[in-house]
Amino acid sequence: MENLHVDALVLGGGIAGMQAALDLADQGFQVALLEREPSIGGKMITLSKVFPTLDCCSCITTPKMSAVAHHPNIHLLTYCEMQSVAETGSGFRLAVVQKPRYVDVNKCTGCRKCEYECPVTLPSPFDRGLGAYRAIRVPFSTAVPQTAVLDIENCILCGKCEKVCAAGAVDFTQRAETFEIQATTLVVASGFELTPLNAKKEYGGETLQNVIDPLMMERFLAPTGPYGRVLRPGDGKEPTSIAYVQCAGSRDQTLGVEYCSRVCCMYAIKQAMLISGALPMADITIYYMDIRTFGKGYEQFYQNAQAMGVEFVRGKVAAIREDDEQNPVVKVELTEEGRIIERTFDLVVLSLGMVPTAGADGILSLPLGEDKFIAIPAPNANPCETARPGIFVTGTAMGPMDIVDSIITAGSVASAASAYIREHQKETAYA
Amino acid sequence: MPDKQKAARKAASPDKEEVRVGVYTCHCGGNISHVVQCERVAKALGKMPDVVVARTDPSFCSDAGQAIIEQDIQELGINRVVIGACAPSLHEQTFRNTVTRAGLNPYLYHHVGIREQDSWVHDGDPEGATEKAVRLMAAGLAKARLLTPLEPIRLGAEKGALVIGGGVAGLRAALDIAHQGIRVTLVEKSPFLGGRMAQLESIFPTDEEPRQLLHALIEQAAAHPSITILTGAEVTAVSGYVGNFNLQVTQHERGLSEELAEALLAACEQEAPDNFNYGLTRRKVVYRPYPGCYPSTPAVDWEHYDGRPIQVDGKAVVLKDKPQVHALTVGAIVLATGFNPYEPRQGEYGYGEITEVVTLPQLIRILAQVPQGEPLIWNGHPVRDVALIHCVGSREIEGVHTPQDDGQVNNYCSRVCCTASLHTALELRRRFPEINLYELYQDIRTYGRGHEEIYNQAQSAMVHFLRYRGEKQPEVAAAPPGDTHPALVRVVDTLTYGEEIEVPVDLVVLAVGMMPSPIDALVDMLKVSRGNDRFLLEVHPKLRPVEMAVRGIVLAGTAQGPMNIQESLSAASAAAAKVAALLGQGRVELPPFVARVDESKCDGTGACVEACQEEGAIALQTFQENGHEVRRAVVTPANCTGCGACVGVCPKRAIDVQAWTLAQYEAMVDALAMDIPAFAEAEK
Amino acid sequence: MASNPKAKQPKILILATLAGGYAGADSTGQAHADYPANTYILPIMCPVMFPPEFFVRAFERGIDGIIIMYSGTDSPYKVEADGTAALVNSSYALMKERGIDIRRLRLAAICTVCVKPFLKEVNQMVELLQGIGFVKDELAAPVTASA
Repeated sequence: MENLHVDALVLGGGIAGMQAALDLADQGFQVALLEREPSIGGKMITLSKVFPTLDCCSCITTPKMSAVAHHPNIHLLTYCEMQSVAETGSGFRLAVVQKPRYVDVNKCTGCRKCEYECPVTLPSPFDRGLGAYRAIRVPFSTAVPQTAVLDIENCILCGKCEKVCAAGAVDFTQRAETFEIQATTLVVASGFELTPLNAKKEYGGETLQNVIDPLMMERFLAPTGPYGRVLRPGDGKEPTSIAYVQCAGSRDQTLGVEYCSRVCCMYAIKQAMLISGALPMADITIYYMDIRTFGKGYEQFYQNAQAMGVEFVRGKVAAIREDDEQNPVVKVELTEEGRIIERTFDLVVLSLGMVPTAGADGILSLPLGEDKFIAIPAPNANPCETARPGIFVTGTAMGPMDIVDSIITAGSVASAASAYIREHQKETAYA
Repeated sequence: MPDKQKAARKAASPDKEEVRVGVYTCHCGGNISHVVQCERVAKALGKMPDVVVARTDPSFCSDAGQAIIEQDIQELGINRVVIGACAPSLHEQTFRNTVTRAGLNPYLYHHVGIREQDSWVHDGDPEGATEKAVRLMAAGLAKARLLTPLEPIRLGAEKGALVIGGGVAGLRAALDIAHQGIRVTLVEKSPFLGGRMAQLESIFPTDEEPRQLLHALIEQAAAHPSITILTGAEVTAVSGYVGNFNLQVTQHERGLSEELAEALLAACEQEAPDNFNYGLTRRKVVYRPYPGCYPSTPAVDWEHYDGRPIQVDGKAVVLKDKPQVHALTVGAIVLATGFNPYEPRQGEYGYGEITEVVTLPQLIRILAQVPQGEPLIWNGHPVRDVALIHCVGSREIEGVHTPQDDGQVNNYCSRVCCTASLHTALELRRRFPEINLYELYQDIRTYGRGHEEIYNQAQSAMVHFLRYRGEKQPEVAAAPPGDTHPALVRVVDTLTYGEEIEVPVDLVVLAVGMMPSPIDALVDMLKVSRGNDRFLLEVHPKLRPVEMAVRGIVLAGTAQGPMNIQESLSAASAAAAKVAALLGQGRVELPPFVARVDESKCDGTGACVEACQEEGAIALQTFQENGHEVRRAVVTPANCTGCGACVGVCPKRAIDVQAWTLAQYEAMVDALAMDIPAFAEAEK
Repeated sequence: MASNPKAKQPKILILATLAGGYAGADSTGQAHADYPANTYILPIMCPVMFPPEFFVRAFERGIDGIIIMYSGTDSPYKVEADGTAALVNSSYALMKERGIDIRRLRLAAICTVCVKPFLKEVNQMVELLQGIGFVKDELAAPVTASA
């Protein structure tokens, strides 16, 4: 890998990072986009449809991925990890590791023949473990780059992939390579993770088979998903009654997640609407404390869901257990009636919240807020500036937010970072 | 593959070009293929004339999907591309870039919308939807066969932007644009900068002083050499297009010279309602809204000044407004026109009828005037009990809420009122510990970073929460004379299982929502769109969230929809990034969809010139040809809007709009009207 | 509203401005509202580009109804509002001359978010055509598609 010198380095190739890179590159700046996974796309590319327009998610994401890959001012670096950062007089110097794909990116055509031949089947993280993929594979159908990657940990070294590859791209001798990137400014777009499914033991996440997380439901609903339909992971049965437990990972002091995760109300409503389309006979109940549909067009979306027959019940879910047929039984306090009931469902989705992705903030030694997201010292003056000059933050790395808001903050960070670049490069030019 | 190579060679031959069409029907990840049988569409199209290849794919807009098209262009010599997919507004540009990368002229591609206008609206009729897709694609093919390569119109762009609105979003956008080396003119309608933010006293969640933050921005903007600030000014005329908007800005006379300003301010006796305090107080018609405002020179309230002379140093001074007109040329326009707080109807929750009913913005102004440590007195009575009612003018339900004069109900959430209301409740608690506070709400929407803490604090601070349902609003009534409190609030509280609760109060505060500023004239001039909620409408919330459909016009802040200050700042910076990208190069490209004269057919009848209503777009010119004088129409592409008024009137069919020709429409109509047997034949 | 593959459906051509009707049709799609499938929407910049002969020709080729969905006074083009009204009037005159029921051509102002008006216009035309039948039966001397 050659060393790079760029104006801005964007850390993270999810929607916020991609948009920030595009908005900077469109202004003529040289941008490097660093992504630790083998493909860009982040969490967004795994979603089914997006609220409130119900556009197919890949229709919005893949063109942005493509635009990033083809932009003349963007250097796309996938499957790379930042190792260390040093401040130089004119910006930052990063040591970056290119992890071995065991596939030559210049030769691989993405034909996937290796994948079809590979005998090792593993649960696919892209499908939240619901589907399977091979030890060597193109990460997912719309991945960018369309290049195979080999999971050496699980490879049995049978060599079938190497034999079948017409391009001769498989290379078991590849090693991790370290290279250097110099950048005037850094933009952190390291994104979020869901709160753990098993964080609240009384909800039975990870022990009860038919209690799932919302990203699993996204994969059930996604046209590119493993089954192409909604079913119970426990037994493959088509569910006819589904419950959503809101704030299952947010607004909860016992979890250390006191804040609202902003997106859960809307994704639950969206999924309820999509399930109603896929399974017209299914009853869907959403247990909530406050419905927070505050974005543009969101209240209307909520009203549409009510009109479609999605049942909104104000109630606090106390616990979930399982009956003899692995049906989750929800014990809920109906706060508008003052009684506690138990109701059996086929499937329960825990509306989990957002926590920050660990990693980037530590290497960059960025101070965090009480909520563990990267601290913004002056949110009402400079909403994208971290406590370290020259380092900016965008998207869910700065707190829970939805895609629309992530894209706006990405535009915003592009403005803030470009002003910094111009100012700083002017200074160093005179220095 | 020798066939392919032959094809590629053939396509490369420079003389008579053979039309080779690739037709691509996208599944759109199931969005289309769940209803339209895409494979049947491809098969039918594959048999039509000049079609070399007809394919389907789960998503042609993905990188892999685009690669298929690129490969076909390069290997099969495809020189016309038809794609049936989502609405062209989403991905037409994506695919123009795709074909360009493969070496094809971007205008040799035609996009057919078969999602929004087919699969999504005919899901009960897959057969009909499939036939429709075939016909629409056949029409697209018919057009594609007649497409010719075109070049965009390249124009120099003025490296300057106009920002309309001098509130926090406009100021932020102006600064960010100026930082990128682009000249900015900031136009503010009122005589002072700062907008709605200046009327606040404390910002959640940081409790910062809003005017202090605002002034930091204003000082930077005022000091920036590339920013010109025009206060008391409005855009009064617009023409032109992206890169070259010509604007007329009319600016009111400030009315006061620097030397006389203070004396006039002191001597002025006439008063008018003080808008800064939402009409709660009165101020002089020569005024400063608040100490430390910008510009610091007082202004004249021309709307209310009655023209009477003001006595200064024994002289009678009559103030005169002589509006000044500025002409500007800019490359882009930022709309940062902001919001107005919802003004409740007369009698809505007793507003305008019961003195004890005020709005939240009014309460903030009332509190600003009560010195710290002193009790809160309203209407002569000490305030002991306060009810704050949420969602006034927000989340309204059709059929439940009384529509506004224009028939609309505000069915949207205004996003900021929950946190603002709780934040104010906490201030009341802090300053007046004895007051009983009641929050009447539907859902508490403290979504932002640090907002939930405010809710938690309010709960610990003994704020009483009463939860009502949208279809059963609380009621406010004047208490009978002699009652302990002047007003009564009744609410069916779902937190106590539907009990009807009556709360006697001294003050009712309506947490009113946001309405867009009244900018009808501007919207008409700029030809921009508004959504159902009447806020300005972006092209697409995710693909182009701060751009308007009119190129070169972008949105910043609450003109687009309710936002808090932090969100307005972000939106403004995002808008600035778009302007910087657009104007950074000093030139813009416009699509080539303008009129073009076929010189071999034009004989100078002038019908086109007569029909054209765009200034300088078309004219007759005299040419010398073979010793003869001939008159022909000549188009000035930069001034042509491509409406085609010239096309329909030309008796010779000598003029057309490029890429939208009459012949193409006739071919499309023929394809749509094609007999069913032809469809069946194609199906075989 | 499933179409019977054997029964021939009348064909409705909708010429919709990009700034108005076409965007309105897309909004209708985003709302997943249902309307009959025998409706073919073509995007146009502005209706004034068509001469009256264009409409008559379309009827003669077998289009049974045409709705022009324009932007009216909200158009980006100065000429659109008045120009389109004039065009429709002169087209009616020509249609009468050729013996075509003038109700087959309609003008409607549709904005970018006009879902309900869009559906109303489409459904009215569908109903009308159920009543008055195919244009071919109306024309004295039908012109074949190959002409």
